Amino acid sequence: MGLRENTQTEPVKTLNLREPILVEKSATIRQCIEKMREGELGCVVVVDSAQKPVGLFTEAILRHVLLESPAVVEETVETQMADSFPWCRLTDPIDTVLEAMELKNHRFVVVVDESERVAGLAGQKGLMEYAAEHFPQEVMVQRVGTKPFPEQREGA
Amino acid sequence: MTQDEFQDPLENYDPPSYSDPLEEALAEQLVTEIQATPYATVNQETPISEALGKLVGDDIACLLVADDDGKLVGVFSDRDVLNHVALEYDQVKNQPVSSVMTPNPVYVYQSDSAAAALSVMAVSGYRHVPVVDLKEHITGIISPQRVTQFMNQYL
Repeated sequence: MGLRENTQTEPVKTLNLREPILVEKSATIRQCIEKMREGELGCVVVVDSAQKPVGLFTEAILRHVLLESPAVVEETVETQMADSFPWCRLTDPIDTVLEAMELKNHRFVVVVDESERVAGLAGQKGLMEYAAEHFPQEVMVQRVGTKPFPEQREGA
Repeated sequence: MTQDEFQDPLENYDPPSYSDPLEEALAEQLVTEIQATPYATVNQETPISEALGKLVGDDIACLLVADDDGKLVGVFSDRDVLNHVALEYDQVKNQPVSSVMTPNPVYVYQSDSAAAALSVMAVSGYRHVPVVDLKEHITGIISPQRVTQFMNQYL
């Protein structure tokens, strides 16, 4: 099958889902930033006591609130989180994530299990990795540095 | 050698085959077919507070940082804000953006394939991939959203 058909038939759980960072509403934005730095992740998922998602705090939100008032980092995440956020189930097709990212410009989609508890995080990087797997030649020759050609002769 | 003896050097060439139009588009079309503009740049001496204001004002996640000749020297993105600015804002806001930017970003040339840009994101982990011309002057930036827009044309 080709990439197009795969995105329509394969479930979200086949993507390389990120392990989400979960916080409670009472966590401060400072604590969230520290966790995001530690986890090298661009968002935290705010959950209730049943581990069900109730909000999302992202780098994009951080950018806005930081410019308004740097002191905001001492407030609780509840005051600044987005309580409307994209989510899908593990069994939804991958193009659900594609649509959320393209049409609604979301970077992360919260993935929930059958109990509606957080099961993972579908991100743009996972989606790019999924698509790139269909182009092994492009991936294999991908340069690591910035120069596409050697600057010095190799060998004798 | 007579014309009868001519051997076509491409007679054994096996053109690539693709499973669907999306794969073909990513492999055969150039980076230039993916929307790479508008993009925003700042000079490397721009204060961090001003660069952050530009990110917010333009509602974008990444700025390209250029030197005085217009050549790409780095990127300043949401991730740099998170890692180097968010908790230190008052101390760093007047410093030049070059002190916290990600230097030497991986970029693609205008002549690279669309799949190459996608592979940079997948392999290198950068969400924003600058596009440059052969003189390494900035001509655009490709974001995951722009890649998914491109891909969705073929879905």
